[in-house]
Amino acid sequence: MSQIARALFISRKDVESYYSKPPLITWGLLFPVVLMLAVYVKNPATYLVVAPGIIGMTLLFGNTSMAAIVITWEKRSGTLQRLLLAPVTHRTIVLGKVVSAAAYGAATSTVLTLGLVVLLKMPMVHLPVFIVGLLAGAATFALLGLIIAVRVREVFEAMTLLNFFRFPILFISGVFMPLDALPAWARPIAMVSPLTHTVELLRFGVTGRSWFPTPWIPILVLATMLTISWLLAGTAFRRHANR
Amino acid sequence: MSSDNVIEVRGLVRRYGELVALDRVDFTVRRGEIFAYLGPNGAGKTTTINILAGLLHRDAGQVSVCKFDIDREPVAVKQRIGVVPEESNLYPELTCQRNLEYLGQLYGLGRSERRGRVDELLETFDLTEKASVRFRALSRGMKRRLTVAASLVHNPEVVFFDEPTAGLDVPSARTLRELIRTINRRGTTVFLTTHNLAEAENLSDRVLILIKGKVVTEGATDEIGRQAAGAEILSVVFSAGIPVDALRAACPAVMSANITDEKWRFEVANVHQATMQIVAWAEKSGLTILKISTETPSLEEAFMAILEKNSAGSEVRR
Ligand SMILES: Nc1ncnc2c1ncn2[C@@H]1O[C@H](COP(=O)(O)OP(=O)(O)OP(=O)(O)O)[C@@H](O)[C@H]1O
Ligand SMILES: [Mg+2]
Repeated sequence: MSQIARALFISRKDVESYYSKPPLITWGLLFPVVLMLAVYVKNPATYLVVAPGIIGMTLLFGNTSMAAIVITWEKRSGTLQRLLLAPVTHRTIVLGKVVSAAAYGAATSTVLTLGLVVLLKMPMVHLPVFIVGLLAGAATFALLGLIIAVRVREVFEAMTLLNFFRFPILFISGVFMPLDALPAWARPIAMVSPLTHTVELLRFGVTGRSWFPTPWIPILVLATMLTISWLLAGTAFRRHANR
Repeated sequence: MSSDNVIEVRGLVRRYGELVALDRVDFTVRRGEIFAYLGPNGAGKTTTINILAGLLHRDAGQVSVCKFDIDREPVAVKQRIGVVPEESNLYPELTCQRNLEYLGQLYGLGRSERRGRVDELLETFDLTEKASVRFRALSRGMKRRLTVAASLVHNPEVVFFDEPTAGLDVPSARTLRELIRTINRRGTTVFLTTHNLAEAENLSDRVLILIKGKVVTEGATDEIGRQAAGAEILSVVFSAGIPVDALRAACPAVMSANITDEKWRFEVANVHQATMQIVAWAEKSGLTILKISTETPSLEEAFMAILEKNSAGSEVRR
């Protein structure tokens, strides 16, 4: 049986073990929903400006957290050793873990999006681009979460490390503040933030407009970032998984 | 490379910073045997298993497991070996059945084969009733049994047991030993570490003793005692108490003497000479010999003798 099939077995087991717990889903949704409501109540006319950003933020937080949980938890309990003993390559393990972590964020973001579409009549001008943004963002964030989390043993350590980059990029990636309003020094950082490109793809999907002239730019940038994260994740895993 | 060697290790070195945990270790494990890999705490047993199982990199040496180099073809090796680690490491949140099923998936067993194998293992390890109980809710002995079962899902050629019976009560340990013997009888090679030397003596065909990362002795289990102690034991029961100093003076082949109950145990360099001298002395002293027999030192005695011999180097850590 191929390594890919085994990777999917790993993902399925993770989904069973971690995601089926209802609190996790609820918590993943609670924060973005509250935030969305706050924005909407304040000014219903402009919620569309921030909605793609909040969906992107849900992806970022959901996926990096989930990746941190599936890796550190198993490392601590010793069960990651089971995977290292099994006839699967390190890449297979990374793939399995990333698919399950990405699935979590993608699922919560989809629920949020459906809620917005149904309850607030949020438009969806270009669904395929929205889906590409959702999936590419989900995979990239899950990989980034894994790259960081595989270095430590405790979930809280992973979360602390993650927050070092999660919160800052939240403010420079066009989530709350339009890219045009960013100070000049922050622009280049915004351009290397995967969140920026994810949010712009989601924005294009929802409204048909984006800061970039064409969705191909963020698609290509995100594809590049995804590839780099994939390579880095493999190396990080090989180096740190058995510590 | 002989076709009957399942594991071949040559010049294996592993360092942790300054510490040399394995220092040019050589050994081979033959197909179908139970190989006991012994040593005091910190000797390097778990480190060895981790290297052979592909969990840890080595610093030097050659390691082949089932004919594959573990560094170059880790997946091929892992497909052929099973590991029962020092600490049980199954998924606490999954049931017994799901744990085994998941491993079956990872080892590439097809659906129906998997089902059959899982049921068979639960049955063999007397866990059928616990099939739908979560791993975390099992007793220690049951956890250990399931961990052994988990290492067998894919019918491995070799199984590594790292202290399988540690912390088990007497009946559970005995059951587990019986299972190890059964697994071995069905053709699986067993690599065993344990601090229970009676267990090693009882189960193993061959023994290796490791101290501070160095192999100090290796050989057939029933030879190692004699080899290590460098002496045979002659046990003798006389009709009456004896003046032991007089005996020692008359019998130069007797190296040491001690008595438990009525039975004298003499450490002797040569069984024939010692017997002749003791018989002659008894005759002259008017004593009758009621019983005389040879004993091989137990593995435990041999182990202690070896530790003492190496005491300058042996150190108990942890
Ligand atoms: N991760 C590590 N980092 C540093 N030193 C280590 C590490 N793992 C093991 N060691 C050291 O390597 C040596 C061998 O350890 P190992 O666990 O292989 O011993 P062992 O024979 O299995 O002992 P025990 O009978 O206690 O299980 C010890 O001195 C130990 O302290
Ligand atoms: Mg050990």
